[in-house]
Amino acid sequence: MTRVKLYTAIYVVLFAFATAQVLVEQSGGLPYWTAFWAIIALSFVKALMVAWYYQHLKWEPRSVTFTMFVGLLAALALTTAAAYSIL
Amino acid sequence: MTDENTKADGGVADATHGADHHHDLPDPGHVKRWLVTTNHKDIGVLYTITALFFLVFGGVLALLMRLQLWTPGVSLLEPLQYNQAVSAHGLLMIFWFLSPFAFGFANYVVPLQIGAKDLAFPRLNALSYWLYLFSGILMGVSFFQGGTFSGGWTMYAPLNLPVYTPNIGASTAVLALTMFTASVTVGSVNFLTTMHRMRAEGLTLRRMPLFTWTILLTTWMMLFAFAALLAALMILSADRLLGTTYFSATGHAGSLLWAHLFWFFGHPEVYIVFFPALGVMAECFQTFTGRRLVGRKWFIAAMVLVALQSFLVWMHHMFLTSINLQIKTLFMATTIGISLPFDLMVFALIYTTVKGKVRFTTPFLFSFGALMLFILGGITGVFLGAVVLDYEFRGTYWVVAHFHYVMVGGVTALVGGLYYWYPKMTGKMYDEFLGKVHFALYFVGFNLLYFPMFVAWETPRRDFVYPEVFVGWHQVATVGGFVLGASFLVMFYNLFVSLWRGEEADDNPWQYSTTTEWAIPSPPPLENFPGKPTFRDGSLKFLPGAGSRTGGTGGSVADGGEFTVEEATDGGASVSQAADTHAADEPESHASIWPFAIGVASFVLLFGLSGLQNASFPSGIEGGFYAALTVGGLVGGLAALVAMATEEFHALTGPFGESWPFEGVENTKLGVWIFLASDVVLFGAFVGSYAFIRVAEGWTNWHHLIPEAHVPLPGLINTYILLTSSFTVVLALVAAEKGSRWGLVGSLATTFVLGMAFLVNKALEWLHLFHVHTEAFPQGWNIGTNIASSTFYLTTGLHGLHVIAGLIVTLYLLVRAWNGAYLDDDRPVEYFGLYWHFVDIVWLFLFPLFYIL
Amino acid sequence: MKLGAGDYAHVVLQQGGIVPKGTRVEVFRQIFTVFLALGTLVGVVVVGYMVYNAYKYRDGDGRGDDPDAPRLGELPTGGGGGRKLFLSFGLSTIIVVSLIAWTYGTLLYVEENPPGEEGETTNIEVVGFRFGWEFVYPNGHSASTLRVPENETIRLSVTSDDVFHTFGVPDLRVKTDAIPGQTTDTWLRADETGTYEARCFELCGAGHSYMTAEVVVMEPDEYEAWYANTSGPNGNSNSSSAGDAPDGSSALGAPTGAPSVPAAASSLEVVA
Ligand code: HEM
Ligand SMILES: [Cu+2]
Ligand SMILES: [Cu+2]
Repeated sequence: MTRVKLYTAIYVVLFAFATAQVLVEQSGGLPYWTAFWAIIALSFVKALMVAWYYQHLKWEPRSVTFTMFVGLLAALALTTAAAYSIL
Repeated sequence: MTDENTKADGGVADATHGADHHHDLPDPGHVKRWLVTTNHKDIGVLYTITALFFLVFGGVLALLMRLQLWTPGVSLLEPLQYNQAVSAHGLLMIFWFLSPFAFGFANYVVPLQIGAKDLAFPRLNALSYWLYLFSGILMGVSFFQGGTFSGGWTMYAPLNLPVYTPNIGASTAVLALTMFTASVTVGSVNFLTTMHRMRAEGLTLRRMPLFTWTILLTTWMMLFAFAALLAALMILSADRLLGTTYFSATGHAGSLLWAHLFWFFGHPEVYIVFFPALGVMAECFQTFTGRRLVGRKWFIAAMVLVALQSFLVWMHHMFLTSINLQIKTLFMATTIGISLPFDLMVFALIYTTVKGKVRFTTPFLFSFGALMLFILGGITGVFLGAVVLDYEFRGTYWVVAHFHYVMVGGVTALVGGLYYWYPKMTGKMYDEFLGKVHFALYFVGFNLLYFPMFVAWETPRRDFVYPEVFVGWHQVATVGGFVLGASFLVMFYNLFVSLWRGEEADDNPWQYSTTTEWAIPSPPPLENFPGKPTFRDGSLKFLPGAGSRTGGTGGSVADGGEFTVEEATDGGASVSQAADTHAADEPESHASIWPFAIGVASFVLLFGLSGLQNASFPSGIEGGFYAALTVGGLVGGLAALVAMATEEFHALTGPFGESWPFEGVENTKLGVWIFLASDVVLFGAFVGSYAFIRVAEGWTNWHHLIPEAHVPLPGLINTYILLTSSFTVVLALVAAEKGSRWGLVGSLATTFVLGMAFLVNKALEWLHLFHVHTEAFPQGWNIGTNIASSTFYLTTGLHGLHVIAGLIVTLYLLVRAWNGAYLDDDRPVEYFGLYWHFVDIVWLFLFPLFYIL
Repeated sequence: MKLGAGDYAHVVLQQGGIVPKGTRVEVFRQIFTVFLALGTLVGVVVVGYMVYNAYKYRDGDGRGDDPDAPRLGELPTGGGGGRKLFLSFGLSTIIVVSLIAWTYGTLLYVEENPPGEEGETTNIEVVGFRFGWEFVYPNGHSASTLRVPENETIRLSVTSDDVFHTFGVPDLRVKTDAIPGQTTDTWLRADETGTYEARCFELCGAGHSYMTAEVVVMEPDEYEAWYANTSGPNGNSNSSSAGDAPDGSSALGAPTGAPSVPAAASSLEVVA
């Protein structure tokens, strides 16, 4: 069954990305903020893969994705604007 | 549905309750009926009555304050008592009166307007109600635990911490509000699923009646705004009960953090309480002018805009704090922006009266009055939008007068709604003369009460000492307060007596009303409609039989705006037989005791938790009492939840015609997704708090707060574990689809084991950190050690709680799968998966934030 | 709102454009007046128009039935009249936006370049505590009464020792939050000598209603003389309030202790 193969491949990638996040930090090679954004970006990619395939958003109407996206935007608006206000 | 309740008008009302005997629901005369009912109309009535009770509660507190303000200085109430009165009055009016009052109508009317027989999740609807009622009772209890919360309804930090507000009752009030928030979240999920998925054919979103539109937007705002409030309250509860240090003063701007979290919720809340009132105004204006709303399309567009933008204006409540000038400018702009759509709405309502046939009935008087008050409130609000003026108005009675004009203006419209729908809800007509007396007293009292506050605006807010020159104005206000209070006595008398002596109300007592609720009997029978409602041909018809789309015309609307019932009677009667046989195998259920039980258990649990301080109960009998309540509530609540899950209950599934934009997303699945969207905001607010605090500390100036022993490895291992468990949940679903029982059981069991491993690993890690012994942390690294430990333990702890909840569900699924369930219907496994993957996703962010960066 | 005639001339001179400038009192007075006038006008017009229409189109004046009247069961649609709607909407937008834009100029002025010569301002630290105020001068002197010279822009840095307070002097139209762990900056300028009252504008506990302090505006010479006589925090008797200031916990759980606070606070002040 191809779906299972796809799921397995994603699992492997997720595993690798999680390891990569730690390695990025441990290696100490990158400047802090470069590493920071790299690690955050990896998290977003992982989250998207889980949501897109494991939670089947790919196969649902886009409106569901949109709803979740609105929630995410609200959270990001709060986080960034609040943090920015005291900079 | 039965024959006797589809008679021609007049005889309908008597017959309706007869229908109930065919169901699991006792008669309305029995108390038991009201404890078990899950029917949306019953719950609407319960909401309405309960909300009115809290109006009286909050109103009495307000009158006490008004008496104190007769002259400056202490008289009736001691300072702290006054502070409690202010705080509890604000909380009760906004949370326990205003919103639930609107949701009484929403419960009763929205399903009728969209052509649904009930909400998507009737038992969750009952649960919302019971959580609401018991949270209110808990709020009442808090007065007897040394006094309730006294830090204002905005609960600013750090006054909201036990150091400054040490009463147990203050904790109880916070927990009561948390419980209320849970009620709102459950209700929002329910309403959103219903309104999106269960509309009658032809009733597209664009064609929804305006009251329903306002409720739709209100619930969307609630879903996200209350999630932020839930985060704020959870953090506050943790600070109060467990000893985390988020809001305690120095260093990391805990005070500002609270203001951000609170107002991020608080501003949308302004529209959450006002939109339903707007909806009532729109309905009443249309009905009682006999005109369709001018610019309806733009009216709706304006509301959608406001709903979205309401999340981008919150810092206008913080203009005097240390936020920078750029962000002040930005928020000044968004604030002005959000006021403009309201101008359009106001003008739309006014122009609707032009060329109409305006009838000054009680509901219209109240709606009309509400619009006037709102205009005044709006104009004075523009003053506050000018930052330079806001600097001076902040903390004065200008603000008090302004928000009462807006909010109590909203109440005015809702009171109009009560008169408007009273005949529908009770089948009786209220006394029109007394209604007009009520309005006259109300309107005069209102303006006597609040207008002087503009004049005496230099009175400081939440203060009982004010300049002598204002004494006269305050006395006028107090007199006005009592007139306003007295006007409600007239209303209570009128509505109460009319229940017995009122004239029988027609199906449609109002000329020119258009919405579906007026096309069915007053009060409507349990099943609401004499057939399947549809707007396929552009106007309302009731089709026979739930399944058949080709059946003849049930009822139809004749010219002249009056619903002709003869046709409906015949059609309906023949229909109902067909429907009976059709649906005989699965009639909808209308009763369950478990929502009530969960409400009681939650009450007991939170009452117990209120005794906590610094994660321990007080010693002695008192502590034992609280501990026992906690355990009892927890066990009882779990038992009730399991009982509810295993109970047979048939809810409507939909779709019935229109379900844009969620066609093909089954009700429960949509419910899960919508809930997860609110959970995104909950965790988002937790992560946002962490980020805010770290930015305040200096993002990279953080690691000295964390012991060396806090290494990424346990987190990495847990990441691996959770990822693997996500994978096994996916495999479980695949196995269920393939019909492999043991594959399913095996995958679920693996998931369970992995989840347990996650928790054990976390417990070991935490124990280790609790007991580190270094120079920097001689006492270990505990939850209250510093702000880094607080954010770490609380955020990952909340995630851990989600894991535990997931494991309980896994266990439940596992037992049932073992017995062969889910092979023909794998949806529960799929929906659980959505939740579990979400928990996984959250961890994908928490891990780098709390372990790596 | 007090304003000397001479100072008014000064304000008008400085004003130049249409953006209100001057002391906070003057700025507030101008803007508030304009808002009040326009607000009243708009309110009267709109409410009047609304009542007029409702009365004019009341039912029962013998007009016939509209053949297009709403019918039960119809799908909701809008009524006509969109043009008028947008006209009024546009008008209100113009009024509101221009009003706010106009005050924005003043906001920038108030925030970024208050009146007075560059660099000549005195900076006083204000610390709120339950339930009183402490004022710390550049030389370290601290007192519970705020003394400032007339006609000089005084910068205030406001913070709190315990909970969230708001520092305000209503008659001087100055107000800002006092937040623990944060400092907010504001300024004041008084153009008349006299005694004013500062008070708290954010609920902070039992003594909130009594959380006041005196603000004494002095002749510049008099002020200079007084200031020269003060010294550091551990200096002479003037600093007596510093000692009892920050201990917020002492007032905890003392509901009736509040009324005594103002008496205690004012008795501390020894005028030099
Ligand atoms: C019916 C809906 C009402 C709502 C939604 C409402 C809401 C509120 C809120 C949110 C506050 C602020 C509480 C705080 O600052 O923590 C407040 C304060 C107050 N309300 Fe009401 N209120 C209502 C009715 C009334 C009535 C009928 C009266 C008078 C009889 C009244 C008198 C007051 C007074 C005296 C205060 C204290 C103002 C202050 O010092 O800040 N309110 N109200
Ligand atoms: Cu707001
Ligand atoms: Cu205060």
